[in-house]
Amino acid sequence: MSTLKEKIEKHLLEVQKPSRYIGGEVGSVIKDKSKVDVRFAFCFPDTYDIGMSHLGMKILYSLTNERENYWCERCFAPGLDFEEIMRKNDIPLYALESLDPIKDFDFIGFTLQYELSYTGVLNMLDLAGIPVFSKDRTEELTQIVVAGGPCVCNPEPLADFFDIFILGEGEEVNLELMDLYWEMKQQGAKRMDFLRRAAQIPGVYVPQFYHFFYKEDGTIDRMEVTDGAPEKITKRIIKDFDKVYYPDNFVVPFTEIVHDRVSVEVLRGCIRGCRFCQAGFIYRPFREKSTDTIVSETKSLCENTGYDEVSLASLSTSDHSEIDPMLTRLIKYTEGERVNLSLPSLRVDNFSESLLNKIKKVRKSGLTFAAEGGTQRLRDVINKNVSEEEIMSTCRIAFEGGYSAVKLYFMMGLPTETDEDIVGIAELAQRIIDLFYSIEDRPRGKGVQISISCATFVPKPFTPFQFEPQDTREMIEHKQKLLMDSVTSRKVKVSYHDPNVSMLEVILAKGDRRLCKSIYTAWKKGCKFDSWSEHFRFDLWLEAFAECGIDPAFYANRRFDYDEILPWDHLDYLVSKEFFIRENKTAHKAVTTPNCRERCSGCGVNKAVGRDCF
Amino acid sequence: MIRVRATFEKKGRAKYISHLDLNRCMLRTFRRSRLPIWYTEGFNPHPYYSFALALSLGYESSCEILDFNLTDDDISMEQIRDQLNAVMPEGMSIVSVALQEQKITAIAKAKYEFSLKTEDVDGLFEAVCQLTAAPEILIEKKTKKGMKTVDIKPDLEVLSCEKSDHSVDMTMYLPAGTQTNYNPSLFIEALKRVTEIPFESENIRRTAILCADNTPFK
Repeated sequence: MSTLKEKIEKHLLEVQKPSRYIGGEVGSVIKDKSKVDVRFAFCFPDTYDIGMSHLGMKILYSLTNERENYWCERCFAPGLDFEEIMRKNDIPLYALESLDPIKDFDFIGFTLQYELSYTGVLNMLDLAGIPVFSKDRTEELTQIVVAGGPCVCNPEPLADFFDIFILGEGEEVNLELMDLYWEMKQQGAKRMDFLRRAAQIPGVYVPQFYHFFYKEDGTIDRMEVTDGAPEKITKRIIKDFDKVYYPDNFVVPFTEIVHDRVSVEVLRGCIRGCRFCQAGFIYRPFREKSTDTIVSETKSLCENTGYDEVSLASLSTSDHSEIDPMLTRLIKYTEGERVNLSLPSLRVDNFSESLLNKIKKVRKSGLTFAAEGGTQRLRDVINKNVSEEEIMSTCRIAFEGGYSAVKLYFMMGLPTETDEDIVGIAELAQRIIDLFYSIEDRPRGKGVQISISCATFVPKPFTPFQFEPQDTREMIEHKQKLLMDSVTSRKVKVSYHDPNVSMLEVILAKGDRRLCKSIYTAWKKGCKFDSWSEHFRFDLWLEAFAECGIDPAFYANRRFDYDEILPWDHLDYLVSKEFFIRENKTAHKAVTTPNCRERCSGCGVNKAVGRDCF
Repeated sequence: MIRVRATFEKKGRAKYISHLDLNRCMLRTFRRSRLPIWYTEGFNPHPYYSFALALSLGYESSCEILDFNLTDDDISMEQIRDQLNAVMPEGMSIVSVALQEQKITAIAKAKYEFSLKTEDVDGLFEAVCQLTAAPEILIEKKTKKGMKTVDIKPDLEVLSCEKSDHSVDMTMYLPAGTQTNYNPSLFIEALKRVTEIPFESENIRRTAILCADNTPFK
């Protein structure tokens, strides 16, 4: 028994949900470390319950472990109770499979899924005993701190902390990076030698080789590249998505996690082009798996994990070209095996009656629609190609089918938004209520319930709205009050997000390297788990920005010029900046762009991939 | 349909699986095993299985009891054991499988073994002897109606109490089952109140589930 394991076990019963900290779950991969050449700690900068729900980790975990001489293990942020025990008893952050400290690993890899997890990265590095700043790490070839995930499309606010960012899909490039590492490790290479060679791998971004100079007005003047690194780093994509590696087993946790079920990825990318949606652009091109692949992956995962629930993962499942036959076959299997099938990410506009009947067969829960904007004009601005007619006809089908609760998602603070658009949200809700009571076979016994959930719009890199400012807090508060005053029915419930959270999100999303110091300072002041409302300390963040000479409004509330060098301009996500500028102009004219299946709008992905998307 | 009773171990890392989590874990284990488990009938059919006794978080056991029904009468007990063992989590394994003989209500007591780790073995041993010889051992027990003071002395049967290099090792019977359930932590709490000697309990394990006449529950 290792002494670290003893130390952990000594205190494990003092913490909540101890099974999160000791591993041993069904499906976890144990290897003989004397026979392993490269060790990879896959870190999720949030707690086990959240991190274990992440599909990307499941894919890359299994993929890496297929290689006999590589060992990928999992690592999560401990809850506050266990962190205190770890710090008091000198328990370094460890990986769940071997219970070995991750500071001894070759790679420490984080997935960056949301900006509010950035302080979690610093805290985990610190708990591990790994220098938080890249420049302070050893010269030897070990302890390479890398990151992937959607936030890596603008990783600049974290540039000082990471050795490498991996752009795009990791299924191939992760192994290429590990292969290079093992080759150079055997040759006795140093850390810098490795980083220089790694920078030559497509999709690999080594931030320390890129240097930024700023103008007096604070915008970027120019970037200089050293060490022979490429001027542009292009994200990686999997060309044959139907054949891409997919695990036939997941680690099955003992404790309940957020998404405690089998997920099967049915498609990647999105044809829709909603102008606020980062995922809709950075995961292009649109690629789907065949029905055969989806059914067989569902079967083997259900059989191997023992889960009795499966969910289809994608940005818009109903855009799958074989959605009807696919669901028919899946339901045949899941019904026979008493497995529940859940279908998130269905779109309003192609929500057919037959589709609804299929879902109803599976489970009757509430319906959720992302309408995003309160008026047709605003929905056209954001290119959410959903008409009120479609929303109404879908609600009608749903009500006639026995549903009586509808949840509607909106954003507040969208470009060009006026008070009229806000009042429009309340009016739309009212018209849905009126529709409900006009239906003869509406569900009896209970009234209709409309929940409106309003998030504050966060402009993101690699979207047509990347240039847009975010509304100030005063503007958002005015709009929130207006919405509350406009809602008169007690059948409508309204909930909001904290605008301060959205402000921090936009700063971290659109920020540049000068923010690294503020993130470090905020973390030092005690900021962590920023996405948990009970831990979010905006006051400390503001202090940190002030101390580091950062004006939050420069990032949050300023319009970025079309010809300005953006902090992420040297990263190529295959969609061109010209396209985003064009789309931004079209948005301001409230003109929509058709989806990719209807007509190619020339975003640039097809040129980069070398083939038409459809 | 056959009514099956499996005895299983829960050791090592598996001791951190809470009772609630164990339920979910067993459901998935059954599904992985592909045994023809019997589902309840009615509006929301679910596989029928139940644990005879809950085991406290952090305790090990060599004798946990799991009852379930199978729709296939011809399946052998060995086959059930092997099919489950092939898919059980680390630290858990089926020791034996048999048809259910007694009713759950026949369970009367359980045997526990544990060590009390201390620097002062002689002193602690003395304190344990004094406590077990006392006319009554009062403890505060949390019940559904709030805190209650209970005397565990009449129900406590100490089988052995021995000194070893760094600990006092004990074996005892405590009442278990549908009526009264005591676990060793009650005794340990009582000991903490009567002695100043620092000690830590470790390796608490349940090693037998018994009927009132001390015969194994079957």
